[in-house]
Amino acid sequence: MVVNGHDVQVSVAPNARLLDVLREELDLTGTKEGCGIGECGACTVILEGKPVNACLVLAGSAQGKHIQTVEGLTGQEELHVLQKSFLKKSAVQCGFCTPGMLMSAKALLDQVPRPTEEEVKRAVSGNLCRCTGYKQIVEAILDAAQDDGKNPS
Amino acid sequence: MKMHKFSYLCPHSVAEACAYLARYGKQAKIMAGGTDLIIKLRDAGPELRDVAYVIDISFLDELKMIRETSGHIIVGALTTHEEMADSPVIRGYLPSLAQACSLVGSPQIRNRGTLGGNIINASPAADTVPVLLSLDASLSVTSLAGEETVGMGDIFQQPYRTKIKPEELLTKIIIPKPPAGCKMVFEKLARRNSLAISRMNVAVLIKTDQEGRVSLARIVPGSVTPLPQRFYGAEEILIGKQPDAGLLHRVGEAAAGEMIRQSGVRSSTAYKKPVLHNLVVRAVEKALGVRKVNE
Repeated sequence: MVVNGHDVQVSVAPNARLLDVLREELDLTGTKEGCGIGECGACTVILEGKPVNACLVLAGSAQGKHIQTVEGLTGQEELHVLQKSFLKKSAVQCGFCTPGMLMSAKALLDQVPRPTEEEVKRAVSGNLCRCTGYKQIVEAILDAAQDDGKNPS
Repeated sequence: MKMHKFSYLCPHSVAEACAYLARYGKQAKIMAGGTDLIIKLRDAGPELRDVAYVIDISFLDELKMIRETSGHIIVGALTTHEEMADSPVIRGYLPSLAQACSLVGSPQIRNRGTLGGNIINASPAADTVPVLLSLDASLSVTSLAGEETVGMGDIFQQPYRTKIKPEELLTKIIIPKPPAGCKMVFEKLARRNSLAISRMNVAVLIKTDQEGRVSLARIVPGSVTPLPQRFYGAEEILIGKQPDAGLLHRVGEAAAGEMIRQSGVRSSTAYKKPVLHNLVVRAVEKALGVRKVNE
């Protein structure tokens, strides 16, 4: 598969999940296991351009596919505009939901560069947060979308 | 976390998948989107004792399509809920089905979960099943012996089990285009707006003639009976009549009564009876245009 732009090849047990491959084989521990049953979104990654729960994808189903994790948000040292907005708007407290939230947000902005508030809420409707109350997260995503619009690069 | 141990098989054609099914039968589980199956595998319960193979059909591109013919919409079993919700064909001809698909789970689940999987998983709380029953859908089922068509109303055996045989694969869902002038509504009642299973839902399809009399009515509540089905008793009350509040009240009563007749009186009945009544009335009102769809 292609993970964050890099070709990777792993050999895993037949019952390994994509989540296990990312965390255990590839040391990409940014993606979290919150529930393991697709009900919290902490394990959200972008698979072929679409946000999915990595805990509900078998490794075999990801063969030959393109996957983006939170580690792939930026290639350089600098933070992605979404990450900057999350910090600016205090959208991170314990941080456990954050990678999943960022990936759901990234998937949205890739398709809809200037989303409405409703579209943002729907995009993260599969991501639970126990700390922030969601308001700061929604504001951060809207803020990042505005930023993207101003500085296309 | 205990995860069931199995061998992973990845066919690249429907024929290959059927060959695996013919060979392994009950020892194999089919995996489409995996959003129901992987949870069961993770639980590694006793019902999986004989399951030694998981057949990943997610690479069978021939099962991913939405096709329109003059009289039907044909949906490949691997079409995801998100694809259904976004499809101009589904939204145009079958808006209550697009609506139901858009309410399943979450964006992440909708990007993997499939229409075929929702049917075969056969949860009494499935969101797409009542709508498909209200649309008189049929299923195309394939095995090495050939292809067979079976009506949606005939495939459920018991909660979480269809009559589909171990060597068979659901390939297509065939939906007749509803007659012109039909209005269809899907209502879902759940604890939350997202990441929530239906506690109760209902799919309704209604057609009225020029005088405002109901000429066609299909009412399919979900999550309230062991097997999903049309509530013919409630439907018949509407046929040939111009609906008013009194008539709709009788429809709601009939639906609630049928639920109790089938599922028995339970501790939740005092709550569910008026709720199903109101849910059905609300859906019918929306289909008749006397209530705004967004309420």
